[in-house]
Amino acid sequence: MNALLRKCLMESEKPSRYVGGEVNAPVFREGVFSFCMCFPEVYEVGMSNLGTKIVAKSMEDAGFGVDWCFAPWPDFGEKLKENGIPLASLHAKKPLSSFDMVAFSLGFELSYTNVLYMLDLAHIPLLRREREGKGYPVIACGGPCCVNPAPLCDFVDLFFIGDGEEVDAEVGRLYEESPDRETFLQKAAEIRGVFVPKYPKERVRSALVEDLDKAIYPESFMVPNCEAVHDRAVIEVMRGCYRGCRFCQAGFLYRPVRARSVETLTKQAKSIIESTGYDELSMNSLSTGDYPHLRELIRSLKRELPDVDLALPSLRVDSFDAEFAQDSRKSSLTFAPEAGTQRLRDVINKDVTLEEILHAASSAFDLGYSSVKLYFMFGLPTETDEDLLGIADIATKISELYYTKKRKKSLRISISASTFIPKPFTPFQWERQASEEEVKHKLSVLKSSLRMRGVTLSWNDFFTSRLEACLARGDERMGEVIAEAYRQGARFDSWMEHFQPSAWQRAFAACGVDPERYTREWSEEERLPWEFVDIGVSREFFLREKHRAYENRSTGGCLQGCKGCGLQEVCPKGKEL
Amino acid sequence: MIVFRYTKKDGGEFLSHLDLLRHIDRTMKRAGIEVKRSEAVNKHPKIYLSAPLGVGISSEAEYCSVDTDFEGDFKEAFNAHAPRGIRCVSYRHTEGKVNVAYEITANAFLVEGIAPFDPEEILREETLVLTDKRGRTKDVRPSILELERRGESTYMKLKTGEATLRPDVLGEYLAGRYGGEVSSVLKIQSYGLEKYGL
Repeated sequence: MNALLRKCLMESEKPSRYVGGEVNAPVFREGVFSFCMCFPEVYEVGMSNLGTKIVAKSMEDAGFGVDWCFAPWPDFGEKLKENGIPLASLHAKKPLSSFDMVAFSLGFELSYTNVLYMLDLAHIPLLRREREGKGYPVIACGGPCCVNPAPLCDFVDLFFIGDGEEVDAEVGRLYEESPDRETFLQKAAEIRGVFVPKYPKERVRSALVEDLDKAIYPESFMVPNCEAVHDRAVIEVMRGCYRGCRFCQAGFLYRPVRARSVETLTKQAKSIIESTGYDELSMNSLSTGDYPHLRELIRSLKRELPDVDLALPSLRVDSFDAEFAQDSRKSSLTFAPEAGTQRLRDVINKDVTLEEILHAASSAFDLGYSSVKLYFMFGLPTETDEDLLGIADIATKISELYYTKKRKKSLRISISASTFIPKPFTPFQWERQASEEEVKHKLSVLKSSLRMRGVTLSWNDFFTSRLEACLARGDERMGEVIAEAYRQGARFDSWMEHFQPSAWQRAFAACGVDPERYTREWSEEERLPWEFVDIGVSREFFLREKHRAYENRSTGGCLQGCKGCGLQEVCPKGKEL
Repeated sequence: MIVFRYTKKDGGEFLSHLDLLRHIDRTMKRAGIEVKRSEAVNKHPKIYLSAPLGVGISSEAEYCSVDTDFEGDFKEAFNAHAPRGIRCVSYRHTEGKVNVAYEITANAFLVEGIAPFDPEEILREETLVLTDKRGRTKDVRPSILELERRGESTYMKLKTGEATLRPDVLGEYLAGRYGGEVSSVLKIQSYGLEKYGL
């Protein structure tokens, strides 16, 4: 390691984020297509991400040279910049600019400026047209945010849309076979699941892995040098969710629901646990409680991995089962009713009733739980003050239930309320977002009604939600705003200590773009900026769902019969029916 | 128990003490070396490390003891599964509990980057008061057991215990007084563990 880099590391917080050498890290192969898997967030967050591990694994299996890079925390980033040291990959310490492809995973809109930040630190021009013909790497993006590529088209050469497992390596092979960059980009644009802004298509279909059980999955995880946010083994039990909550983008993007077999999952879990030394295994999916063989899976995992703690995130209220809770040492129970009244829960198609919440809470309280977390949204379509007051009503009922018996501890209820963000590819994609005035009012209703003993309320920053909506629903003009905001100093926008609303406000003003352009209601006749992407769920289905919402009618989910979302042909559940 | 000597370098010097403990625990698990655990609710592995090394200080002489009945080639098993820069150099089986942190009396370091100076000048002084980052002053002279120039390097043997003095702190003081800039610090030996022959 050279003395200058060493000095930068010594003067930065948690230098082990940047040195590499993690157990199970890929060995970089020279002389083949080289791929740098970037995550535009700090190491501890990036190391917890599953999607990038799958992508990297598919590239490694294809025989390509693979390395990683995460966003340097601002202290280290500043030092690199001051000293003119270009951002390099984690293990092989190759400058990012020397790779054939530098690919970012976008799971959260507020990480967009970090893509520019990393390119900038890597001495790679931010704009596609500034890189043209100069031998820079192909800049690619993938991940759920890419279903609306429009705001990033100025910066990105190639988007991966949908499941990456098979497409990633195909693109790598195409790169190796192509005589030059242009031929590569032209041909790549023809692949399903790939969008090349330079060679646009009328309709871009997202890629789909039909058989998840046979899909690529890492046999081992890199073990991070410093503790990651989720420092544990992860198996992906299912992809997709049967439920169809109308606000939930992931619920539609990852359709149809595909599950892995107990046998495959057990094998994958064993392999990851043995190669990492982790003592916790997380069974991931959007709704693990809906996995059809959950009991069998838990039995199998406990038999094969007796010393490993099992974590079940995203358990839904109605699938909460005392049997699962007993093993965990957690003292807090989390529910996400999302809305305060049954009427509004019907509007958003969240099929959870107050009785179910109380029933689940009751068994948990008897097991010794004394703390409840409740997640709600506000600013939902058709919402009135009555719906907001319903939240206090739920809190009161939970509290009454708790104190019907004598308990050792007093009950704590923490309520987290976040502003509704209308996202592309949901039945609510045409909706407007609540204005600042409305949000103020709604918060005051919540604050005054929740002045109860043992209840705490937290909410997210208004401007952050507004920005998330603008980025999620943005068009090409939003790209100009992103570039300007970065120039004004915006980065790490999801970190309150680094978020600079003023940089964004100046950027919107400088570009002459009113955020209202993206947060307003869209008419059903308008063409939405992302509608050239086809995720398989039909526009008609989304419209039907939107109209039912306005009639206060829930639809239920796929488990209560097929609702004809448009993916029947490829849906394993649809085939069963 | 097994007591072993290991390196912490080649990037490993940037691991924090807490992370290092976690890594050693996981290395044991990957290697199939079963470590005994405490009986508490949170079952701590019975792994005992020598005193924390400042982040960024490399070492060829870190020590650790683990409560295990492992009979195989410990060094080979450990090294096949340890993170980069963490390498077992030698090991011994011992009877009874060993906690290396309490047995070490002094450590020796090589510090690079300090301009040539006469160590006798420092050793002749009866007190050497340094101010740390938080503005606290302390006489560190009693901690300095030996100070020599070895070629371009500065060798220092520092006492541990209550008067523990960080080699980089002393190195920076010397660089400030005589010129140069500390470019690396390497721990080469600990004293007090001779009986284990590591």
